[in-house]
Amino acid sequence: MADFLHQLWIARFALTQGLILTLWLSLVSIIAGTILGILGGVALTYGGRLVRWPVRALVDALRGIPVLVLILAVFYLLTFAGINFTAVESGLIALSLFSGAHMAEIVRGALSAIPTGQIDAGKALGLSSFRIFALVLLPQAARMIMPVWINTGAELVKTSTLLSVIGTGELLFRTQEVIGRNFMTLEFYGFAGALFFLINFAIEQAGRVIDRRLAAR
Amino acid sequence: MKKIVFCLLTAASLAALTSGAEADKLADVLARGKLVVGTGVGNPPWHFRDEAGNMAGYDVDIAKIVAKGLFGDDTKIEFVNQASDARIPNIVTDKVDITCQFMTVTAERAQQVNFTIPYYREGVGLMLQAGGKYKSRDDMKAAGNAVTVSVLQNVYAEDMVHYALPEAKVDQYESVDLAYQALNSGRADTVATDMSSLQWFMKQNPGKYADGGYGWNPQTYSCAVKRGEQDWLNFVNIALREALTGVEFGTFSKSFEQWFGVKPPEPQVGFPSEHR
Repeated sequence: MADFLHQLWIARFALTQGLILTLWLSLVSIIAGTILGILGGVALTYGGRLVRWPVRALVDALRGIPVLVLILAVFYLLTFAGINFTAVESGLIALSLFSGAHMAEIVRGALSAIPTGQIDAGKALGLSSFRIFALVLLPQAARMIMPVWINTGAELVKTSTLLSVIGTGELLFRTQEVIGRNFMTLEFYGFAGALFFLINFAIEQAGRVIDRRLAAR
Repeated sequence: MKKIVFCLLTAASLAALTSGAEADKLADVLARGKLVVGTGVGNPPWHFRDEAGNMAGYDVDIAKIVAKGLFGDDTKIEFVNQASDARIPNIVTDKVDITCQFMTVTAERAQQVNFTIPYYREGVGLMLQAGGKYKSRDDMKAAGNAVTVSVLQNVYAEDMVHYALPEAKVDQYESVDLAYQALNSGRADTVATDMSSLQWFMKQNPGKYADGGYGWNPQTYSCAVKRGEQDWLNFVNIALREALTGVEFGTFSKSFEQWFGVKPPEPQVGFPSEHR
């Protein structure tokens, strides 16, 4: 134990860097994914055929391939098109696309659960399409989406560990580096596991608070 | 799964090779002002992060020799951390200028990348738990398929182990520490890994492990660069040759001794030995 604490102290900066990168990657990709997801969800629900079909194909493709393959594809395949992203950039793009595709499906589900009569009612009141969306549909959809959205966030934190395969210095990767030096495999994987649990526990608690607030309105 | 993906990517990279435009890597690297080196992070004494957080090891020192040759400054390096199976894809897709990551030279690989002159000749050894069920390779050979061997993943890992232990079960792991962990947890009876790594690990953990007393499978380690970059390859070869036998021998010798515990043979003054 004393040995582990000593090694942990030596590795404190490396692990903190990893933790910060993990949190940053998760945060940015959930924000980007949410924006992509709302655009995608709206396109899937209200778009004409010309918009809906390509978006549907893209969402299905992104949801259908394993995230690991998506990460490797962004990192390697795009170089043949002359685009050379760094490991962190590739990771962000892959995670954002992944979460965007899932969010699009979630948003579509929520929007189509709202009776179309409300849109007609909004039109009858003379509201613009944007205001109908922002004032009538989005608040209701948000309430339905919230639990799943929190879940997707927690899922993304865990998925970000896959970025270690392309050498992104997130928490798992930094942990592997430390283990590579001191060979305390169980101790440091256990420590990393505990940190991931704490992050996701915090996210879920925060989610519960937000959920309660939304429901109370 | 990951392996399949990498196979596909390598195939795609090979296809793309034929359409590659003419480029001058040496000029590109000089203009950029830093060398981008692909290597791993979890395999001392080859490549790992030391306690201060800096890259260290023999592979890293070899890369530093190349950087010093380029810029007169061995700190002008950016390390790209890659798994063993990313070594060839990262070269072919220009993610790195050079890979120095205990890469075994094979004729098959030489169809995909260009190898530099060798900087080490490795052998494989067996490591056991001290005071465990088996004492040596002969014990394990006699035990036949009751023995499980953990090994770092590689295309030829299975054949390599079976040369020493023909009937043993082979479990491949993604990193050396996981292979060691398999031995610690009893999932494997022995680890088959590079002699150099094995000796390093046993030195760090005195009394815990035993040497299986058998070495085999000579393999040559070289750095690798992209195909079709002859000037770049020539440059790296010269930098390495002059470290192994010429003006940079002092630096090289110190590194070699630090990581392997023995001094490399001094270059003989007079007629160049490579022409003998």
